[in-house]
Amino acid sequence: MKLVIKHLKKSFDKKEVLKDINFEFEKGKIYGLLGRNGAGKTTFFNCLNEDLDVDAGEFYILDNNKKKAIKPEDIGYVLSTPNVPEFLTGREFLKFFIEINQERIKNIKSTDEYFDFMKIDKEDRDKLLKDYSHGMKNKMQMLVNIIANPNVLLFDEPLTSLDIVVQEEMKQMLKEIKKDHIIIFSTHIMELALDLCDEIVILNKGVLEEVNKENLDNEQFKNKIMEALKEE
Amino acid sequence: MIKSFITSFKLKNTYRANSIIYSIKQFPIINKILPNSLYKNKGLKIFANIISILLEIIFTFIGKFLYVWLVIFSMLAIYSVEKNDLFLHIFLFLTIGGAFMNTYMLNPTKDKYYAIVLMNFDAKKYGLSNYYYQLLRIIIGFMPFTVLFGLIINIPLWLCILLPFFVVAVKLIVMNYCIWDYKKTKKAKNENIPTAIVWSIIAICVLLAYGLPALNIVINQTIFLIVFVVAIIFGIYSIFIINSFKDYRKMYKQILTETNVYAMENNTGVKAMKDNSLKQIELDNGYISNKTGFAFFHELFVKRHSKILTKAVKKQAVIILLIFAILFIAIKINPIIAGKINRITLVYLPYFVFIMYCINRSSSVTQAMFMNCDHSMLTYRIYRTPKVILGIFRERLKTLIIINLLPALLIGFGLATLLYLSGGTDNPINYLVIIVSIIAMSIFFSVHYLVMYYLLQPYNASTEMKSSTYKVVQGLTYFVAYFFIGVKIPTLYFGIAMIIFCIGYSLISLVLAYKYAPKTFKLRT
Repeated sequence: MKLVIKHLKKSFDKKEVLKDINFEFEKGKIYGLLGRNGAGKTTFFNCLNEDLDVDAGEFYILDNNKKKAIKPEDIGYVLSTPNVPEFLTGREFLKFFIEINQERIKNIKSTDEYFDFMKIDKEDRDKLLKDYSHGMKNKMQMLVNIIANPNVLLFDEPLTSLDIVVQEEMKQMLKEIKKDHIIIFSTHIMELALDLCDEIVILNKGVLEEVNKENLDNEQFKNKIMEALKEE
Repeated sequence: MIKSFITSFKLKNTYRANSIIYSIKQFPIINKILPNSLYKNKGLKIFANIISILLEIIFTFIGKFLYVWLVIFSMLAIYSVEKNDLFLHIFLFLTIGGAFMNTYMLNPTKDKYYAIVLMNFDAKKYGLSNYYYQLLRIIIGFMPFTVLFGLIINIPLWLCILLPFFVVAVKLIVMNYCIWDYKKTKKAKNENIPTAIVWSIIAICVLLAYGLPALNIVINQTIFLIVFVVAIIFGIYSIFIINSFKDYRKMYKQILTETNVYAMENNTGVKAMKDNSLKQIELDNGYISNKTGFAFFHELFVKRHSKILTKAVKKQAVIILLIFAILFIAIKINPIIAGKINRITLVYLPYFVFIMYCINRSSSVTQAMFMNCDHSMLTYRIYRTPKVILGIFRERLKTLIIINLLPALLIGFGLATLLYLSGGTDNPINYLVIIVSIIAMSIFFSVHYLVMYYLLQPYNASTEMKSSTYKVVQGLTYFVAYFFIGVKIPTLYFGIAMIIFCIGYSLISLVLAYKYAPKTFKLRT
């Protein structure tokens, strides 16, 4: 399965943010999306999630060489600022989410099992999401997106607000689930990208390009990425 | 569809129940006793659920009752035309205007946001099932009151029963129009921010509803029935359009943004509120301030917030002038109106407490002060020294009072002129009392909001409202102002009492502010 993007374009007024995006993302890999501030990473995600209409181009899923239009349930989008229904408890949020999406969730587990999977403490499960910390809200948002089991998972700077122990847990978790998904992961932290991602993709001047590691060591690879990012 | 509705209803009820428990927890002492795991407690949950359902039932009826009674029935006495025709006349035009104002479907509510955006609820199923539920509520909610008030003025029972169906039919037609508009423009319109066209339609409907009867023109039963039949036919046709429309998800994605959804709320929509406050800032590069220190700092704030300060007040002034101009003309033309206005100016001064409350800008200005200025500045130790706090407080107080004074002066002198033109009074002191008391009220509200803000500074570093006292004070202010609406006291006595109260209150609260603000004006934790 692949996510294919062809000639995707998006401008705001006169500013061309995405000029001509062409790329194929494959299942089973985590893609690290790097780009300078304002390069258009979030715009790119918003286009894929159909929060923004694109100006030109198309994107679709290619499954066994069959072209499939993207449906809402194909995409899971975890934002850097977590968005949760504040007046539900963690458990209620999960319960309703499962109830609403039950048709597409494979082998549904109990809410407690999911909480255990995400390492959310027993005493926090029945608190209002309003009272969750930023990191915990982030975990909840990630959890529901993973439960929904979409083909494509978009992560916009998701680990930055988590403490280092949780970051490590989440990294392991992502590595576990990556075989069934196409995961695109935007970040500013080079170490995280190198450590977690299988491929590094750079968004610069409105174009996406892959940076090949070839047989460089980490230090040389870092320099290559840096050069690519600085390119004017 | 029914299954989705049940899930969505349960979802709505759950967070409403939680909100009820949450508000119980907001009371200072109870907060200490009740644990956080409260939301797990089955008994309490059931109790809150029952209250939430009861509220749903009460709200189904209460709004419709007030609408039929206040907006239509109580207006009948004003005009000298056949009462039952007039009832149908007002009902018809207000229904059309109302359908544009409130479609239910395009209202960016929190329940839609939770379900569709955050939980991936199928947008069409959610939208439609809740839409039809709301239409059903209209029929059930309206029926008792169209029948009750209709029968009082001899409208035949069968027609009273049909009236709620007319409302539903018109709503369906308007929704059909909205879908057509969306297909054409690809832009979904948030109904809480009506477009110029929608505003004009509403204005025209209101004008037709209340204006035509004054000229002795009203529709009769036959015309109403013709419109009714046409509406029903197009309404049924609209159901097919609404049901077959596919792009609900795209449409909802456009209107269910955080800013839209949280626009009406102060506590939870922290980000939205910040965005809204930030939108008020204007940068005018040509502007240079010659002042120094706090005065400089404050002047820049004022200049860059002219949208909510000077410009808003100028708009108010224009509207006030217009209203008075209309009243002056009415007095000249019609001696009966002159008599009524004369009486109003002499006994309805308390009503102006509410009006002054409504037009005072201070509440939103203090909020902008926090969001765009103090929120970040208060993290600096230097900003929290008594000298700086009181220095800026003084500047702000001056600005708030002066800005709010313009509409106050207009209203004060306008009322005094009205009194004079409409026949005058035996006691000339009344003129002075009216002017001074209106000004006093204006100063009172300015002082009140600013002092409350300085004494209770209710927000924390992440701009959440943390003080329940502040909310109580805000609520009380509204309640007291609202209470005066119905009160009739001779202007002379009420005015003098008001002047004394305002001066006393302002002096005491200023003393308190000077004494305690250096301690209380800080970020909450």
